[in-house]
Amino acid sequence: MRGYLGQIRAIVWKDLLLEFRTRERIAAMAAFAVLAAVLFNYAIDKSLVSPQNIAAGLIWMTIVFGGLLGIGRTFNLEAQDGAMQGVLMSPAPKDAVFLGKTIANFVLLYVVAILVVGVFMLFFGLDLGTSPLALAGALALGALGFVALGTLFSAVSSGTHMGETLLPILVFPLLVPMVIYGTTATGRLLGGRPVAEVAGNLRMLGAFALVAIFAGAGLFRFVVED
Amino acid sequence: MSVRGLRIGGTSLAVLGLLLVGLVFGLSFFWVSTEASQGIAQRIFYIHVPAAWVAFLAFGIVALTSAMYLWLRDDRLDRAALAAAEGGMIFATIMLTTGPLWGKIAWGTYWTWEPRLTLTLLLWFIYLGYFLVRSSSENAERGKRFAAVVGIVGALDIPLIHLSVVWFRSLHPQPVVVKPDAPSLPGDMLSLLMLGLLAFTLLFFGLFLLRYALETLRDAADARERRATT
Repeated sequence: MRGYLGQIRAIVWKDLLLEFRTRERIAAMAAFAVLAAVLFNYAIDKSLVSPQNIAAGLIWMTIVFGGLLGIGRTFNLEAQDGAMQGVLMSPAPKDAVFLGKTIANFVLLYVVAILVVGVFMLFFGLDLGTSPLALAGALALGALGFVALGTLFSAVSSGTHMGETLLPILVFPLLVPMVIYGTTATGRLLGGRPVAEVAGNLRMLGAFALVAIFAGAGLFRFVVED
Repeated sequence: MSVRGLRIGGTSLAVLGLLLVGLVFGLSFFWVSTEASQGIAQRIFYIHVPAAWVAFLAFGIVALTSAMYLWLRDDRLDRAALAAAEGGMIFATIMLTTGPLWGKIAWGTYWTWEPRLTLTLLLWFIYLGYFLVRSSSENAERGKRFAAVVGIVGALDIPLIHLSVVWFRSLHPQPVVVKPDAPSLPGDMLSLLMLGLLAFTLLFFGLFLLRYALETLRDAADARERRATT
């Protein structure tokens, strides 16, 4: 078990180090998030709706679109130099590779998610509500399910000639539970409602993340077989 | 079963299914009693509900055969998954076209974010992803694996999607047949619905067998071509 965790940690470390040195994906996702918020600002007629009322939905959509931008390239760097073969031929089992990649993606996406919330606070005068901790939890659970599905299908789409174009078509229909429970939880917490009111949502987000992680860990080896 | 047997079986099932679908059409217009509150528009129910049943049944077959394909790597399982997916997509399309037609009259709008409607739309897109993954993979064997993964993850996610969209909102008429107490549907309506289910199921399995036979022939032709070129 120690060896297994060690293997996962090695993959996570490798991916995060690569990202730290190139800063390609995180920069793209962060820039996307800020620019999307700028566009949203002009897309909303403030005499009709107040941005605070729809902030939760905008936050999640920014995370989903911006996140796919980075997650879709999970395997690009390794595909270029055939480095993926090396990773797959290493003694680490395929599910450890998947979990490692998912955790590394999660770290990136969570940084972006926090940035998105920060940008919305700054741009739209958003208030964090009474329980920032529960908000952080909702974002984390939602992001976890999202990166697990995203990582699995990023491996699928990068094996096709449609590439990243295919990714949203594969992932969006599956993301509906995350979007529904995530946005309602976020919206209610931002609106200052008590945490007890979103406990059910958090549980469903957790269930979604668990299903996504187990499905991904079980099926990843069939995706990267050749 | 030989390809010839598959084609004979498929053709007879499909023809029988089509005849029964014709009968269901006739009976739903001229025989069954008109539903009191929804009036004449409710007659589309005998097409809509069986189509929905087959669309979800087909996805069950896709998921099951996909999982078995990944396990056993038998091309016949992959062909079955493909045949079921194509059939399922047709019936999901029927359900998605008949539903809004009824909705326009009963609810006053073609589209509403009603859970079952939403679920079918998403099912339709999962099917679409299934075909896109298959057709955009350079090597056929990889396409089969990828498609199987899409089918399995879709099937795992569908219950969660269902829960979430129901939780989001429910406007749809409540179930009238499969529910804890006895069916509340009057006798003639229930019989016609059952006939519709039978007709669509037979039609589906007829199309399924024909599609399966076609794919078998295509694989055989590909194999011959490969042998000829090498």
